Amino acid sequence: MAEIESDQLQRASSLEETKVKNEYEEENECILQFLDSLDAYLTLVDSLSSSLREGWFDLASARQSMGHTRVSSKLFDHKVHSASTTVKITELDADNLSGTKPQFSLSKWATTQENPSSEAPNHSNLRHRVPTGLSEDGEKSNGTEISNVVSNDIQKERSKSLTTFGGLVSPKLRTAQVSFETALDKIAEIANARSSMLSSFSQLQLNKKSSS
Amino acid sequence: MAGRAQIPTRNSALIAMIADEDTVTGFLLAGVGNVDVRRKTNYLIVDNKTTVKQIEDTFKEFTNREDVAIVLISQYVTNMIRFLVDSYNKPIPAILEIPSKDHPYDPAHDSVLSRVKYLFSTESVASDRR
Repeated sequence: MAEIESDQLQRASSLEETKVKNEYEEENECILQFLDSLDAYLTLVDSLSSSLREGWFDLASARQSMGHTRVSSKLFDHKVHSASTTVKITELDADNLSGTKPQFSLSKWATTQENPSSEAPNHSNLRHRVPTGLSEDGEKSNGTEISNVVSNDIQKERSKSLTTFGGLVSPKLRTAQVSFETALDKIAEIANARSSMLSSFSQLQLNKKSSS
Repeated sequence: MAGRAQIPTRNSALIAMIADEDTVTGFLLAGVGNVDVRRKTNYLIVDNKTTVKQIEDTFKEFTNREDVAIVLISQYVTNMIRFLVDSYNKPIPAILEIPSKDHPYDPAHDSVLSRVKYLFSTESVASDRR
Protein backbone atom coordinates (compact mmCIF):
# COMPACT_ATOMS: atom_id res chain seq x y z
CA MET A 1 0.00 0.00 0.00
CA ALA A 2 2.82 2.35 0.96
CA GLU A 3 4.65 1.37 -2.23
CA ILE A 4 1.62 2.20 -4.38
CA GLU A 5 1.30 5.57 -2.70
CA SER A 6 4.97 6.38 -3.20
CA ASP A 7 4.70 5.33 -6.88
CA GLN A 8 1.74 7.66 -7.33
CA LEU A 9 3.63 10.50 -5.66
CA GLN A 10 6.65 9.91 -7.88
CA ARG A 11 4.49 9.93 -11.03
CA ALA A 12 2.74 13.10 -9.95
CA SER A 13 6.02 14.86 -9.26
CA SER A 14 7.57 13.80 -12.60
CA LEU A 15 4.42 15.02 -14.41
CA GLU A 16 4.73 18.29 -12.56
CA GLU A 17 8.41 18.57 -13.55
CA THR A 18 7.59 17.89 -17.20
CA LYS A 19 4.87 20.51 -17.11
CA VAL A 20 7.23 23.13 -15.62
CA LYS A 21 9.93 22.20 -18.15
CA ASN A 22 7.47 22.62 -21.05
CA GLU A 23 6.37 26.00 -19.71
CA TYR A 24 9.99 27.16 -19.50
CA GLU A 25 10.65 25.99 -23.04
CA GLU A 26 7.56 27.80 -24.35
CA GLU A 27 8.57 30.96 -22.55
CA ASN A 28 12.12 30.73 -23.91
CA GLU A 29 10.75 30.27 -27.40
CA CYS A 30 8.53 33.31 -26.95
CA ILE A 31 11.47 35.38 -25.67
CA LEU A 32 13.59 34.31 -28.65
CA GLN A 33 10.78 35.20 -31.05
CA PHE A 34 10.44 38.60 -29.39
CA LEU A 35 14.19 39.30 -29.58
CA ASP A 36 14.35 38.15 -33.21
CA SER A 37 11.50 40.43 -34.23
CA LEU A 38 13.01 43.33 -32.26
CA ASP A 39 16.34 42.83 -34.05
CA ALA A 40 14.56 42.59 -37.44
CA TYR A 41 12.61 45.78 -36.65
CA LEU A 42 15.74 47.80 -35.81
CA THR A 43 17.69 46.46 -38.80
CA LEU A 44 14.84 47.19 -41.18
CA VAL A 45 14.36 50.73 -39.85
CA ASP A 46 18.04 51.37 -40.43
CA SER A 47 17.76 50.01 -43.96
CA LEU A 48 14.64 52.14 -44.53
CA SER A 49 16.56 55.26 -43.45
CA SER A 50 19.18 54.44 -46.05
CA SER A 51 16.61 54.02 -48.87
CA LEU A 52 14.85 57.22 -47.86
CA ARG A 53 18.13 59.15 -47.87
CA GLU A 54 18.82 57.99 -51.42
CA GLY A 55 15.30 58.97 -52.44
CA TRP A 56 15.57 62.46 -50.90
CA PHE A 57 18.92 63.01 -52.54
CA ASP A 58 17.61 61.98 -55.97
CA LEU A 59 14.53 64.14 -55.45
CA ALA A 60 16.74 67.13 -54.62
CA SER A 61 18.82 66.47 -57.75
CA ALA A 62 15.67 66.25 -59.86
CA ARG A 63 14.42 69.49 -58.35
CA GLN A 64 17.70 71.17 -59.18
CA SER A 65 17.67 70.04 -62.82
CA MET A 66 13.93 70.50 -63.47
CA GLY A 67 13.36 73.59 -61.37
CA HIS A 68 11.72 74.02 -58.00
CA THR A 69 8.26 74.75 -59.42
CA ARG A 70 8.21 71.55 -61.45
CA VAL A 71 8.80 69.23 -58.49
CA SER A 72 6.40 70.60 -55.94
CA SER A 73 3.36 69.55 -53.95
CA LYS A 74 1.32 72.15 -55.88
CA LEU A 75 1.33 69.77 -58.85
CA PHE A 76 -0.21 66.84 -56.95
CA ASP A 77 -3.24 65.33 -58.58
CA HIS A 78 -6.36 66.20 -56.58
CA LYS A 79 -8.78 64.48 -58.94
CA VAL A 80 -10.46 61.34 -57.65
CA HIS A 81 -8.13 58.39 -58.14
CA SER A 82 -7.22 55.16 -56.36
CA ALA A 83 -3.83 54.24 -55.06
CA SER A 84 -1.83 51.98 -57.39
CA THR A 85 0.19 50.56 -54.52
CA THR A 86 -1.83 49.10 -51.68
CA VAL A 87 -1.46 46.72 -48.77
CA LYS A 88 -3.16 43.40 -48.18
CA ILE A 89 -3.82 42.45 -44.58
CA THR A 90 -4.32 38.85 -43.58
CA GLU A 91 -4.97 37.65 -40.10
CA LEU A 92 -2.66 35.03 -38.65
CA ASP A 93 -3.89 33.19 -35.62
CA ALA A 94 -1.19 33.62 -33.05
CA ASP A 95 -1.29 30.26 -31.26
CA ASN A 96 -1.67 31.88 -27.90
CA LEU A 97 -4.17 33.92 -25.99
CA SER A 98 -2.58 37.25 -26.83
CA GLY A 99 -4.74 37.68 -29.92
CA THR A 100 -4.32 37.59 -33.65
CA LYS A 101 -1.33 38.84 -35.57
CA PRO A 102 -1.96 40.83 -38.73
CA GLN A 103 0.31 40.15 -41.68
CA PHE A 104 0.93 42.92 -44.24
CA SER A 105 1.89 42.36 -47.84
CA LEU A 106 2.44 44.99 -50.48
CA SER A 107 0.70 45.01 -53.83
CA LYS A 108 2.60 47.34 -56.15
CA TRP A 109 1.34 49.05 -59.25
CA ALA A 110 -2.06 47.41 -59.56
CA THR A 111 -3.37 48.39 -63.00
CA THR A 112 -6.74 50.03 -63.43
CA GLN A 113 -7.68 47.32 -65.96
CA GLU A 114 -6.74 44.42 -63.73
CA ASN A 115 -8.92 41.29 -63.57
CA PRO A 116 -9.59 39.55 -60.31
CA SER A 117 -6.94 36.87 -60.07
CA SER A 118 -6.39 33.80 -58.00
CA GLU A 119 -3.72 34.91 -55.61
CA ALA A 120 -1.56 32.25 -54.05
CA PRO A 121 -1.12 33.09 -50.39
CA ASN A 122 2.44 33.93 -49.64
CA HIS A 123 4.31 36.09 -47.21
CA SER A 124 6.69 37.73 -49.68
CA ASN A 125 6.42 41.47 -49.62
CA LEU A 126 6.39 41.99 -53.37
CA ARG A 127 3.30 40.84 -55.16
CA HIS A 128 2.15 41.59 -58.67
CA ARG A 129 -1.37 41.06 -59.83
CA VAL A 130 -1.56 38.64 -62.70
CA PRO A 131 -4.49 38.54 -65.14
CA THR A 132 -6.75 35.47 -65.04
CA GLY A 133 -6.11 32.80 -67.60
CA LEU A 134 -2.77 31.74 -66.25
CA SER A 135 -3.26 28.05 -65.51
CA GLU A 136 -1.62 26.38 -62.58
CA ASP A 137 0.62 24.31 -64.90
CA GLY A 138 1.50 27.41 -67.00
CA GLU A 139 2.68 26.81 -70.52
CA LYS A 140 6.03 28.58 -70.80
CA SER A 141 5.20 30.74 -73.81
CA ASN A 142 1.90 31.87 -72.23
CA GLY A 143 3.75 32.57 -68.98
CA THR A 144 6.35 34.72 -70.75
CA GLU A 145 3.70 36.66 -72.67
CA ILE A 146 1.68 37.29 -69.54
CA SER A 147 4.74 38.41 -67.57
CA ASN A 148 5.59 40.80 -70.42
CA VAL A 149 2.05 42.18 -70.31
CA VAL A 150 2.32 42.57 -66.53
CA SER A 151 5.66 44.38 -66.69
CA ASN A 152 4.35 46.67 -69.45
CA ASP A 153 1.33 47.49 -67.30
CA ILE A 154 3.59 48.20 -64.35
CA GLN A 155 5.77 50.49 -66.49
CA LYS A 156 2.65 52.33 -67.64
CA GLU A 157 1.55 52.86 -64.04
CA ARG A 158 5.03 54.10 -63.11
CA SER A 159 5.06 56.54 -66.03
CA LYS A 160 1.57 57.74 -65.13
CA SER A 161 2.83 58.55 -61.66
CA LEU A 162 5.78 60.49 -63.11
CA THR A 163 3.59 62.51 -65.49
CA THR A 164 2.26 64.42 -62.44
CA PHE A 165 5.48 66.42 -62.82
CA GLY A 166 5.33 66.88 -66.57
CA GLY A 167 5.91 64.94 -69.75
CA LEU A 168 9.70 65.01 -69.69
CA VAL A 169 11.19 64.34 -66.30
CA SER A 170 14.72 64.13 -65.06
CA PRO A 171 16.22 60.61 -64.81
CA LYS A 172 16.87 61.47 -61.16
CA LEU A 173 13.12 61.57 -60.58
CA ARG A 174 12.88 58.01 -61.93
CA THR A 175 15.65 56.82 -59.61
CA ALA A 176 13.92 58.61 -56.72
CA GLN A 177 10.77 56.67 -57.61
CA VAL A 178 12.70 53.38 -57.45
CA SER A 179 14.24 54.33 -54.08
CA PHE A 180 10.84 55.08 -52.60
CA GLU A 181 9.44 51.83 -54.01
CA THR A 182 12.27 49.99 -52.22
CA ALA A 183 11.41 51.95 -49.09
CA LEU A 184 7.80 50.73 -49.39
CA ASP A 185 8.97 47.09 -49.48
CA LYS A 186 10.86 47.71 -46.26
CA ILE A 187 7.88 49.42 -44.69
CA ALA A 188 5.75 46.31 -45.25
CA GLU A 189 8.46 44.18 -43.62
CA ILE A 190 8.74 46.63 -40.71
CA ALA A 191 4.97 46.42 -40.20
CA ASN A 192 5.25 42.60 -40.01
CA ALA A 193 8.20 42.75 -37.61
CA ARG A 194 6.25 45.21 -35.43
CA SER A 195 3.22 42.93 -35.43
CA SER A 196 5.35 39.90 -34.47
CA MET A 197 7.13 41.86 -31.74
CA LEU A 198 3.90 43.14 -30.18
CA SER A 199 2.33 39.68 -30.36
CA SER A 200 5.22 37.97 -28.56
CA PHE A 201 5.45 40.86 -26.07
CA SER A 202 1.76 40.38 -25.21
CA GLN A 203 2.36 36.65 -24.77
CA LEU A 204 5.28 37.29 -22.42
CA GLN A 205 3.17 39.68 -20.37
CA LEU A 206 0.40 37.10 -20.11
CA ASN A 207 2.89 34.41 -19.03
CA LYS A 208 4.25 36.74 -16.40
CA LYS A 209 0.79 37.51 -15.03
CA SER A 210 -0.19 33.86 -14.91
CA SER A 211 3.01 32.83 -13.14
CA SER A 212 2.86 35.61 -10.49
CA MET B 1 -10.43 34.75 -23.13
CA ALA B 2 -13.50 36.76 -24.03
CA GLY B 3 -13.77 39.43 -26.72
CA ARG B 4 -10.66 38.73 -28.83
CA ALA B 5 -10.52 41.48 -31.43
CA GLN B 6 -11.05 40.19 -34.95
CA ILE B 7 -8.91 41.69 -37.68
CA PRO B 8 -10.80 41.65 -40.96
CA THR B 9 -8.85 40.55 -44.03
CA ARG B 10 -8.46 43.49 -46.38
CA ASN B 11 -7.28 43.22 -49.94
CA SER B 12 -6.40 46.76 -50.92
CA ALA B 13 -5.91 48.94 -47.94
CA LEU B 14 -4.11 52.24 -48.12
CA ILE B 15 -0.88 53.60 -46.73
CA ALA B 16 -1.54 57.00 -45.12
CA MET B 17 1.23 59.53 -44.54
CA ILE B 18 1.83 62.47 -42.22
CA ALA B 19 5.23 63.79 -43.22
CA ASP B 20 7.21 66.57 -44.85
CA GLU B 21 6.78 67.52 -48.50
CA ASP B 22 9.72 65.54 -49.88
CA THR B 23 8.74 62.32 -48.11
CA VAL B 24 5.13 62.59 -49.27
CA THR B 25 6.26 63.46 -52.83
CA GLY B 26 8.50 60.41 -52.93
CA PHE B 27 5.82 58.02 -51.72
CA LEU B 28 3.28 59.50 -54.11
CA LEU B 29 5.76 58.78 -56.91
CA ALA B 30 5.73 55.18 -55.68
CA GLY B 31 1.96 55.08 -56.23
CA VAL B 32 0.42 55.27 -52.75
CA GLY B 33 -1.57 58.47 -53.32
CA ASN B 34 -5.34 58.15 -53.10
CA VAL B 35 -8.12 60.72 -53.45
CA ASP B 36 -11.61 59.47 -52.63
CA VAL B 37 -14.96 60.75 -53.91
CA ARG B 38 -15.12 63.24 -51.04
CA ARG B 39 -11.79 64.64 -52.25
CA LYS B 40 -10.10 63.39 -49.09
CA THR B 41 -6.48 62.42 -49.51
CA ASN B 42 -4.51 59.79 -47.61
CA TYR B 43 -1.69 62.19 -46.79
CA LEU B 44 -0.95 65.38 -44.88
CA ILE B 45 2.07 67.50 -45.74
CA VAL B 46 3.49 69.02 -42.58
CA ASP B 47 5.29 72.33 -42.91
CA ASN B 48 5.98 75.27 -40.62
CA LYS B 49 2.37 76.51 -41.06
CA THR B 50 0.78 73.23 -40.00
CA THR B 51 -0.72 73.40 -36.53
CA VAL B 52 -0.58 70.68 -33.90
CA LYS B 53 -4.39 70.53 -33.94
CA GLN B 54 -4.37 69.76 -37.68
CA ILE B 55 -1.86 66.97 -37.13
CA GLU B 56 -3.91 65.54 -34.25
CA ASP B 57 -7.14 65.65 -36.25
CA THR B 58 -5.49 64.01 -39.26
CA PHE B 59 -3.96 61.29 -37.08
CA LYS B 60 -7.35 60.55 -35.52
CA GLU B 61 -8.99 60.53 -38.93
CA PHE B 62 -6.44 58.12 -40.45
CA THR B 63 -6.52 55.76 -37.46
CA ASN B 64 -10.33 55.60 -37.59
CA ARG B 65 -10.56 54.92 -41.32
CA GLU B 66 -11.43 51.33 -42.27
CA ASP B 67 -9.47 51.48 -45.51
CA VAL B 68 -6.07 52.42 -44.02
CA ALA B 69 -3.59 49.64 -43.17
CA ILE B 70 -0.44 51.57 -42.31
CA VAL B 71 0.08 55.15 -41.16
CA LEU B 72 3.56 56.51 -41.83
CA ILE B 73 4.42 59.45 -39.66
CA SER B 74 7.72 61.29 -39.48
CA GLN B 75 9.22 60.91 -36.05
CA TYR B 76 9.62 64.68 -35.50
CA VAL B 77 5.87 65.04 -36.23
CA THR B 78 5.10 62.18 -33.85
CA ASN B 79 6.97 64.04 -31.12
CA MET B 80 4.44 66.88 -31.49
CA ILE B 81 1.55 64.48 -30.77
CA ARG B 82 3.48 61.94 -28.68
CA PHE B 83 0.77 61.49 -26.10
CA LEU B 84 -1.80 60.62 -28.74
CA VAL B 85 0.50 58.16 -30.54
CA ASP B 86 1.63 56.47 -27.33
CA SER B 87 -1.94 55.92 -26.23
CA TYR B 88 -2.84 54.28 -29.54
CA ASN B 89 -2.83 50.51 -29.14
CA LYS B 90 -4.84 49.01 -32.01
CA PRO B 91 -3.10 46.47 -34.30
CA ILE B 92 -4.52 48.10 -37.44
CA PRO B 93 -3.70 50.50 -38.83
CA ALA B 94 -0.05 49.99 -37.90
CA ILE B 95 1.66 53.25 -36.92
CA LEU B 96 5.23 53.41 -38.19
CA GLU B 97 7.56 56.22 -37.22
CA ILE B 98 9.95 57.09 -40.02
CA PRO B 99 12.91 59.44 -40.21
CA SER B 100 12.78 62.71 -42.06
CA LYS B 101 15.46 64.62 -43.96
CA ASP B 102 16.36 66.89 -41.07
CA HIS B 103 15.57 64.56 -38.18
CA PRO B 104 17.16 61.10 -38.19
CA TYR B 105 15.35 58.18 -36.55
CA ASP B 106 15.87 57.90 -32.81
CA PRO B 107 14.92 54.48 -31.36
CA ALA B 108 14.69 56.01 -27.88
CA HIS B 109 11.58 57.94 -28.97
CA ASP B 110 9.85 55.18 -30.94
CA SER B 111 6.51 54.45 -29.27
CA VAL B 112 6.60 50.71 -30.01
CA LEU B 113 10.10 50.33 -28.58
CA SER B 114 9.15 52.43 -25.54
CA ARG B 115 6.28 50.05 -24.92
CA VAL B 116 8.44 46.94 -25.03
CA LYS B 117 11.58 48.26 -23.35
CA TYR B 118 9.80 47.73 -20.05
CA LEU B 119 10.85 44.10 -20.44
CA PHE B 120 14.46 45.15 -20.11
CA SER B 121 14.11 47.79 -17.44
CA THR B 122 15.78 47.21 -14.06
CA GLU B 123 12.51 48.03 -12.32
CA SER B 124 10.74 45.04 -13.84
CA VAL B 125 13.69 42.77 -12.94
CA ALA B 126 13.80 44.09 -9.40
CA SER B 127 10.06 43.62 -8.89
CA ASP B 128 10.36 39.98 -9.98
CA ARG B 129 13.02 39.35 -7.38
CA ARG B 130 10.97 40.66 -4.50
